[in-house]
Amino acid sequence: MIKLAVYGKGGIGKSTTVSNISAALSQMGYKVMQIGCDPKADSTTALHKGKELSTVLSLVRDRKNDFELSDMVCEGFGGVVCVEAGGPTPGMGCAGRGIIAALEKLKEKGAYETYKPDVVIYDVLGDVVCGGFSMPMRDGYADKVFVITSGENMAIHAAANIAVAVDNFKDRGYATLGGIILNRRNVKNEDEKVKELCEDINSSIIGELSRSDTVIQAEDIGKTVIEAFPDSEMANEYRTLARAVLEACGIKED
Amino acid sequence: MCMMQTARVISTYTADVSGVPSALFELGGMVIMHDASGCNSTYNTHDEPRWYDFDSMVYISGLSEMEAIMGDDEKLIGDIVSAANELRPQFIALCGTPIPMMIGTDFDAVCSVIEKRTGIPTLPVKTNGMNTYVKGASMAFLELAKRFVTKKDKAQKLSCNILGVTPLDFSVNTSVQSMKNALTERGVEIVSCWAMGDSLENIKNSSAATVNLVVSLCGIEAAEYMKNKFGIPYVVARPTAAAFTDKIAADMRLSAQDGVNRITCAGESSNENARVIIIGEGVSSNSLAAALKLEADIDCRVICATDDMGVSLGKRSVTARDEDELMELINDASVIVADPLYKPVCPKGAGFVPLPHEAFSGRIFRKDIPDTAKDIESVIAQIERIL
Repeated sequence: MIKLAVYGKGGIGKSTTVSNISAALSQMGYKVMQIGCDPKADSTTALHKGKELSTVLSLVRDRKNDFELSDMVCEGFGGVVCVEAGGPTPGMGCAGRGIIAALEKLKEKGAYETYKPDVVIYDVLGDVVCGGFSMPMRDGYADKVFVITSGENMAIHAAANIAVAVDNFKDRGYATLGGIILNRRNVKNEDEKVKELCEDINSSIIGELSRSDTVIQAEDIGKTVIEAFPDSEMANEYRTLARAVLEACGIKED
Repeated sequence: MCMMQTARVISTYTADVSGVPSALFELGGMVIMHDASGCNSTYNTHDEPRWYDFDSMVYISGLSEMEAIMGDDEKLIGDIVSAANELRPQFIALCGTPIPMMIGTDFDAVCSVIEKRTGIPTLPVKTNGMNTYVKGASMAFLELAKRFVTKKDKAQKLSCNILGVTPLDFSVNTSVQSMKNALTERGVEIVSCWAMGDSLENIKNSSAATVNLVVSLCGIEAAEYMKNKFGIPYVVARPTAAAFTDKIAADMRLSAQDGVNRITCAGESSNENARVIIIGEGVSSNSLAAALKLEADIDCRVICATDDMGVSLGKRSVTARDEDELMELINDASVIVADPLYKPVCPKGAGFVPLPHEAFSGRIFRKDIPDTAKDIESVIAQIERIL
């Protein structure tokens, strides 16, 4: 089982990218589980349009432990097992602690043993702002962390922070950095800036995505590019990225 | 209106955080409660009758507000490493409390760093202060089993580990020794006792036993672990007076032969018309109910008022953790057998038989805690007087 976590600045396109990677991997024959780790609970929406999905934390709040594993997952496009951790009411509670509780509950209910995914992807909210958001990279969860960034300064700054956090945790047996995914915004000197980031954090760009209207069109109809426009150039980019992610995790796809 | 998780009148069972040092107290380890500084005597004096007579390394980390806010684990790690290098305990156990739980301290990672720096086995015990002592002691025993029990050659004779022994359930009277005597008199050799009157060395040999005896719910997770890891079956019951202890020994013999777990204290009948109700820890209370039936033909119902750890304790037993829920369940009782601090919520007209329980009332009634492994004559006499 390959387990990876995807981080990056808010709004950089993590959920869109992760959902397309999941969809692409599922079409390559992999059983994928995508776990949204964001109180907004919108990581997997493009994979299961029209299907209702209760968040793990709303189930725990409403039913304590009186629910089944099947209540907190739904199968989306390509059989991707979709899970949303959820979180407290905005402005209240503790979202980071919520991620810990949700991931522990998922483990306790035997999610990994039951669905036996080949690939688990944690789609994590923005930056590693507190202990809760480092949960997906802790021992027993993701083995590799991928960071999505564009050439925008704030995105690069966030990516550098995440890389520092990963490095700080190296003696704790946490996940290691798998690489950088460049999601282009077509800003000036974009490639150079991201390459410089990679040098600073001793990593490399493992995949690149173009800025494309196809992504927006797919989003408008609530689907992934892989599902909505499978023959598009963008779909091919996501497939190439999916293979690169696998390769960074030690799996070579022909 | 039912007020959940609220005790307005009665006491509460001591929390999971106290169960951990209680379980590990005698084993030569260093137990660190990762908690704010202040009055921390709950762990080591109010809940620990051995504190003044027995040296043990139980410490509080003294977590400060800023350390919690800033997630400064390095201070905790440094303090523990420094103390451990000086005292060289046999192991270190790091236990959680509500604040580390809320800030999501990664106990596995912190323990792994401490172990790397000291070379001393370091056990994470992820308590959070939200459960009863049963859960905390159980987690501690489970970590002990996972870390120290290795495969040994099986004994030829019927032999057992006694699992789940702490003063919170057994106090510091003659109970533990009587229980051991009762078993050896019935031909059961004792490999280890988790964990009163025994050593870490004996506990390490636990996999040589042919059966485990779970004498309180505190021992169930370690028993499950040893069943899965070493194929040792377990019997759940607390030796209580002669006749029931005979049955326990017989079940242990059967389990050692067929490898099947047995919850010997579980009642087969719901006893719904019984007017005697026992309130307390699940295994002790159900064992007392079984013994009362065998010794004096008294039918009882049982309320397990602690964590039941998911153990099926039979038809006569229900789990009730809340005061209001409990009061509803006992409103038709004629006799209630429970810790004296339950008396104020018992229905008017019902007789009350005090059975003090260290985990509920601490030291207040310690001198009145009976040795039920030996006999239950006084309990029977008091019930019969009322009936």
